[in-house]
Amino acid sequence: MSLQEKYQTLLELANSNGTTYELSEGDGVLHITGSAPDEAAKAALWAEYERIDPDFRSSDLILNITTAAAAAGGDVHTYTVVSGDNLTKIGNKYGIPWKSIWDHNRDILNHPDKIYPGQELKIPQ
Amino acid sequence: MRVKLLTFLTLAAALFMIGCGKSDADLTKAVNDKFAAEKITGVTVAVKDGVATLTGEVTDITVKNKAEAAAKSVEGIKSVDGAGLKTKPLPTPEHPSPDKMLEGTINENLKKKNITGVTVAVKDGEVTLTGTVDKAKVAEIMMVANEAKPKKVINNLNK
Repeated sequence: MSLQEKYQTLLELANSNGTTYELSEGDGVLHITGSAPDEAAKAALWAEYERIDPDFRSSDLILNITTAAAAAGGDVHTYTVVSGDNLTKIGNKYGIPWKSIWDHNRDILNHPDKIYPGQELKIPQ
Repeated sequence: MRVKLLTFLTLAAALFMIGCGKSDADLTKAVNDKFAAEKITGVTVAVKDGVATLTGEVTDITVKNKAEAAAKSVEGIKSVDGAGLKTKPLPTPEHPSPDKMLEGTINENLKKKNITGVTVAVKDGEVTLTGTVDKAKVAEIMMVANEAKPKKVINNLNK
């Protein structure tokens, strides 16, 4: 199994959560160097890495992910869900697509249709 | 009566033709359209008897997976053979920072995170981590080590 195959779910996750990355490989080590949209996306990637290699003992991956938010120094606005909300409605309030809210809150949301009053959603700037 | 029968037979024949499915040429076009819609490039498809064979070279395995899934999703495609679809050979990583610098960066960043008990040894760009640490901190320590741009990280930490 190639290293790309071993870590393919990690790469799929990067593609789906808005992380851009470049790959290189040398001496049996796969290097994923990239930039995630925020800390949550980066944490999700690390969680996936830990799932594939639970104790980080394989010494076959260098995961170097920076976050765009950290680079820009931007603060993240949060929105508290109230009864009757949905992602599209919240997105409209900020003039952003529902999907970008979904992408930024994958750590707390399991399904785009399931949000609950009191949840604090991160709103990308 | 006779006319009715004829109409019925014609209709039945027409339905049968539709039921037979699309030709391989139609399917090839459908797969290519699907690739275009999903912005998948660099993949050549050949369909024979409903089996799509993919060839070409793509950026990485995620594109290969996507192409295979896209081809499979086309109605009429029975199976997909992606064995001939290769991933681009990867470039070799940049040279790691000099050992001393790597060691310094890692130690400094560990200190910033108030992480103690980790011994960092670097040789030829390969970082070896030893020491006994809290299990919850391992991922954080690995993050610090990975982001210092080493060639490899050997994790010998005890929890």
